[in-house]
Amino acid sequence: MSIQDLIERTKVSFCQDCGVCTGSCPVSRVLPGFSPQQMVGKFVLSADLGLEDEALSDRDMWSCLTCALCLQRCPSKVEYLEFVRAVREEAFRTGNKATFAHDGVIETIVNMQRGGLHQNKTAWAREAGQIAESGEYYLFVGCLPYFDVLFRDMGISSLGSASHMLKMLNKLGIEPVVSDEERCCGHDLLWSGNVDVFKELAAFNIEMIKRCGSKKVIFGCPEGYVAFKAYYPLYFGELDFEVVHFYDLVGEQIKDGALKLSRVEEQTVTYHDPCRLGRMAGIYEAPRELIAGMPGMTLVEMERNRENAVCCGVSCWANCSSYSKQIQMDRLKEAEATGADALITACPKCKIHFTCALSSSDMKMEVKDLTEVMAASALEH
Amino acid sequence: MSRDVLVIGGGIAGIQASLDLAEQGFTVYLVERLPSIGGKMAQLDKTFPTNDCSICIMGPKLFEVERHPNTQLLTYTDVEAVKGGAGNFTVTVRKKARYVDEAKCTACGLCAEKCPVSVPDVFNMNMDTRSAIYKYFPQGIPSVYTIDDSVCRIFKGKKCNICAKICEAKAVNYEQKDAVFDLNVGAIIVATGFDVFDPSDIKPYGYGTIPDVITAMEFERLLNASGPTGGHLERLSSLNTKAEIEQLEKQIKHAKAGLKRAEKNGQNSDKVDEVKKRLAEMNESLDGLKAKEASLAELRDIAFVQCVGSRDLRYNAHCCSYGCMHSVKEAVVATEHESELKSTIFFTDMRAYGKEFHEYCLRGGSEYGIHFVRGRVAEIAQGDGGRPVVWCEDMDTRKVEQHPFDLVVLATACVPSQGSASLATMLGFNLDESGFVKTDPNKPVDTSVQGIFVCGCAQGPMDIPSSVSLASAAASMAVQTVKALG
Repeated sequence: MSIQDLIERTKVSFCQDCGVCTGSCPVSRVLPGFSPQQMVGKFVLSADLGLEDEALSDRDMWSCLTCALCLQRCPSKVEYLEFVRAVREEAFRTGNKATFAHDGVIETIVNMQRGGLHQNKTAWAREAGQIAESGEYYLFVGCLPYFDVLFRDMGISSLGSASHMLKMLNKLGIEPVVSDEERCCGHDLLWSGNVDVFKELAAFNIEMIKRCGSKKVIFGCPEGYVAFKAYYPLYFGELDFEVVHFYDLVGEQIKDGALKLSRVEEQTVTYHDPCRLGRMAGIYEAPRELIAGMPGMTLVEMERNRENAVCCGVSCWANCSSYSKQIQMDRLKEAEATGADALITACPKCKIHFTCALSSSDMKMEVKDLTEVMAASALEH
Repeated sequence: MSRDVLVIGGGIAGIQASLDLAEQGFTVYLVERLPSIGGKMAQLDKTFPTNDCSICIMGPKLFEVERHPNTQLLTYTDVEAVKGGAGNFTVTVRKKARYVDEAKCTACGLCAEKCPVSVPDVFNMNMDTRSAIYKYFPQGIPSVYTIDDSVCRIFKGKKCNICAKICEAKAVNYEQKDAVFDLNVGAIIVATGFDVFDPSDIKPYGYGTIPDVITAMEFERLLNASGPTGGHLERLSSLNTKAEIEQLEKQIKHAKAGLKRAEKNGQNSDKVDEVKKRLAEMNESLDGLKAKEASLAELRDIAFVQCVGSRDLRYNAHCCSYGCMHSVKEAVVATEHESELKSTIFFTDMRAYGKEFHEYCLRGGSEYGIHFVRGRVAEIAQGDGGRPVVWCEDMDTRKVEQHPFDLVVLATACVPSQGSASLATMLGFNLDESGFVKTDPNKPVDTSVQGIFVCGCAQGPMDIPSSVSLASAAASMAVQTVKALG
């Protein structure tokens, strides 16, 4: 696709040159010179001057968090997010790639999943609860087993969240399919420009879920949820299974009285909206209702909440830098100012990033995963 | 058949159209849903680009339209149904009960003084209170009082008839009923004006959560001599603190009296100690509040935020057309109140297109020191002590900056008035995609229905000079209709 087509498709020419995007951008506040508005301007100019190749070699595009705050606030409704995604796709083709954190190990793990690799992804599940080989429900575990290994030294047990999710489903009488054959959802590939591999993995997952005969695929991770819900249909048409977020499913069951939340230790918490779950999937209230539904738990809001929440500082493991740390610390301070004892997130990556930032500070804030917090209340009776 | 004309809406546009028609010898019914005519212009402090006092221009017009032999004012009146067509409309109106005889009331105001009810004053943008029996604003025409039956004690089944007892003119009548009657007119002019966009929809601007983020209309009232502060420029947080102090002082007085009684009656010492302890606590928080009030006394830095809900596809795609100008005006007038004051205007584009508008902006910069920043405000955060902090990219320097201010004034969008959609259905004319009355650029006062004309902000966002021009145009077109068909 030419840059000119891209500009038209994403309504970039509607830009009023007002600066709301840059004024809102969490990166622009800590990385002087970074500006969504100017990035758009640069591409418009490059298309006019025939300098597309030069624009595509720009490194700034990898600093964007794709957090959608600018998209939320743009008075001209410029589809900035889609613009960045598509620009990255073109840039990747020309060899311009993001700098990945953790020496690119996660990118390697994702790329390894292309071939006939056999993973031992279900061992934890057999220990944690009841799973099936085929059936109506499929539990998409995603990266959690890999994160569990990679970030264990930071005291993060990503599989803890997966096990608790399975236990709660079992309690509701659901024995979901958990598969060794499952591949990465492709979210990070999509946002780092590698669309060909994204499509390969997505096709594999769709086929695999079809073989399991599942009609409802449950996600605990917002990134997998959005990849399946919004981007799989874009490339593969309507899916023949439903994409369900775990919190929506559990929330319904609690309302119906099928699951009860028992009293937890008295605590004041605040909730951080992950970009994918909030701005991109529009799920703001379900997690809040779950938190408020646990007796003993008091929820206080940060100044920037819901559609105005700030990103956790890194997306698709690209360009993690000092500005990421600054964004994370600012957010943690905002959480601290509420007087909360803990910051609850609903995304495994948010938890990793905030925990990482906390490890080099003396702040007394705990970062918790909503699924785990909820497990203590839902499974203890 | 009728050669009379109905004008719906008693703001500056409706008043001008009525006066033009009356002067030409046609009988005019001017219907206004509120207790007084005057509309939004009556709420403004000054007008641009001349800094004239708004009510001083308007007052004589209010008076003139009331006393003109060819006009009949129907205030506190709703249009309920319309039948017929050009030359012969039958319009059913409901004149709501004021519970005050308009012919007897002398507007002495004794009733309002003694009325025990206190509710937010809408005219002063809820920054002040009024009683249940009230005058919409001091210069309001007709100059009579009205009982708000949604808050009056009598209509809540409680005992009270203070206003009736105190009224020397014997004008109060709780038994008064709505009067529903028909008007036969040859043409109708719609001048129903606009509403101020509610900025609480834009969460990042903090309106409603940060006390010192206010709308331009609220600021107009703060500047005005008949406003909640008597024209003394104050921030809302300071007003709120004063109200808290007043409340607490009342409680302290009450507690002191209680203590005295307890001591006199020789009640047990535990209870006396408890009251004493509570009194000490209250005195302590009173000191705190007083210190807070003192810290809020000085008002030095004001920000004006342009295009709030305007030129924004998420809210209103259209430009409000007057926002740039009224912000310059408000900054100028504020500086005249307080010479030490510094104003910053954050704008998208400076749209100063009218006669002498651009010169007015330049003068604002050179003579009044207004600081103009090109850049739309991204967010208003809460800084130290709840002080608003404006985040914005300066589009000239391309830098993202944050600035704390004492007060932030939002130039809110112009939106169709609340009843305009139902009025359009009733009268059968079309609205445009923004909800204003649809007109052809070459026929700016013709609605899609023959014999029904439009002027002022009912047609679309416009300033006072344009409203007045269109009003005269609409009056002229109405004359053509009634002469031909009426």
